Amino acid sequence: MPVVKEMLLEDPAYEAEMQHSDDSRILVVDDLRSSRMLIGAVLAAAGFTHIDYASDGVEAMAKIRESRPDLLVLDIMMPNMDGFEVCRRVRNDLGLDIPILVQSGIQEAEERVRVFDEGATDLVSKPINAAELISRVRVHVEHRRLLLNLRQYQNRMEEELRTAEAMQISLLKTDEEALAITEPRGAKLVSHYQPSNKLGGDLWQIFPIDEDRFGLLEVDLSGHGVTAAINAFRLHMLIESLTENRGDPAKWLGDLASNLYKLLPVEHFATAFYAVYDKRTQILEFASGAAPAPIVLRQDGGHEALDASGMLLGCADDTVYESRRVQLNEGDRVLLYSDALVEDFKDMDKSLSEDDVADISKKILAGRDITDFPARIIEKVFVDPSEIMRDDLTIILMEVS
Amino acid sequence: MEYRIDSQGERAVIKIQGVLTFDDHEKFKGVVKSITGDDAKQIEINLTETKMIDSAGIGMLLLANDKAKKVGKSVQLSGVNGHVAKVVELSKVDQLIPII
Repeated sequence: MPVVKEMLLEDPAYEAEMQHSDDSRILVVDDLRSSRMLIGAVLAAAGFTHIDYASDGVEAMAKIRESRPDLLVLDIMMPNMDGFEVCRRVRNDLGLDIPILVQSGIQEAEERVRVFDEGATDLVSKPINAAELISRVRVHVEHRRLLLNLRQYQNRMEEELRTAEAMQISLLKTDEEALAITEPRGAKLVSHYQPSNKLGGDLWQIFPIDEDRFGLLEVDLSGHGVTAAINAFRLHMLIESLTENRGDPAKWLGDLASNLYKLLPVEHFATAFYAVYDKRTQILEFASGAAPAPIVLRQDGGHEALDASGMLLGCADDTVYESRRVQLNEGDRVLLYSDALVEDFKDMDKSLSEDDVADISKKILAGRDITDFPARIIEKVFVDPSEIMRDDLTIILMEVS
Repeated sequence: MEYRIDSQGERAVIKIQGVLTFDDHEKFKGVVKSITGDDAKQIEINLTETKMIDSAGIGMLLLANDKAKKVGKSVQLSGVNGHVAKVVELSKVDQLIPII
């Protein structure tokens, strides 16, 4: 092809680049043999080693189906099936996002717009200008390579996040495991946990203290995603290791806080609520570090929010907490929740107050048992399901039996 | 979030406007930088026009406080009101950063 050589040599900038070989698979579609050969020769001279040809739309579609090329150089006016139709089918029927470079002599703006509407990625003018063709092909091939790499990376990340999420959820007690602890100690319990963006920093735990008492803990670590999740794992180990003082909420929360202080970087902290329920007295004794106020839903229809104020955990070395008590009676329920249930950062007037949460809960619970409470309150509060994923959501409802 | 810094010798006032949440993380780095870089020894973070704060926002204030302490400066909060006051009260931030 002496013509091509001459064309390229006119432009010395491309001479240097011609040596790079590129094994991207390119399909050149044109009904004129001379056009196909010209384009093929230009690309070959530029270092592309895998070039295939089709002489009309029908042949092109067959080859695309069979070999999934990395890029199309496509003519528009062809017998049997034109370039517009090929674009449409590649995008709609095959659902492929490969770059389609349309070579066209079309001058009218409207027609050029149509080329893009049908799904073309870019246009090169006809007659072919070698330098233009090569740079456009290179740009799109490179772009696609980056896109594929990124997609591969994203898939791997998603896979790993799913694994981590499963690990995280396995840290939590199932309702059956929780009931095995609470039922002999005079209480029923249902729970729900949903991490935001796959990984979260919420954690709740329940453990037996003696034959009559159990401890119930709800923690919300600041931040979301991987950092919060790693901290949640460390927190879980910490909780398991703090076996002393479990019967004394203020003391135990203080222990947890000073250990978290050593564990967490300065801008990270946690809110927490820890309660001990004693079936002999039906008293719930609790201590809190800035947790959302749990709500006691009385059997007679009344309600009260518990005072859950207290210093954030992990900000200071020797934080002192206060134990508070509430007398419960048979049929009373206590609702614990993370702030994701009530906070609305888009419209702060829409954030729920404790009274709002109490009223919604009462309506849901009227004459029913607590089993499906978490699902029902989520349905009521989150009218737009996508809003749920904003933050980690934990809901725990305990009932004195 | 938007912020404005008024520096007068020993004292600087940083006004935080809008909402201070997780999304303002990057922007807040500018606040921390100016606290450590500025000549002022006393820094007042004014929250009069801060409409809302979340736990990440509280974390950022704590971070600013910590960085200031490390270079021998002190941070105070002022203009705490509305939603911010509720969060500050609930989390007892006043035990860590003085409120004026």
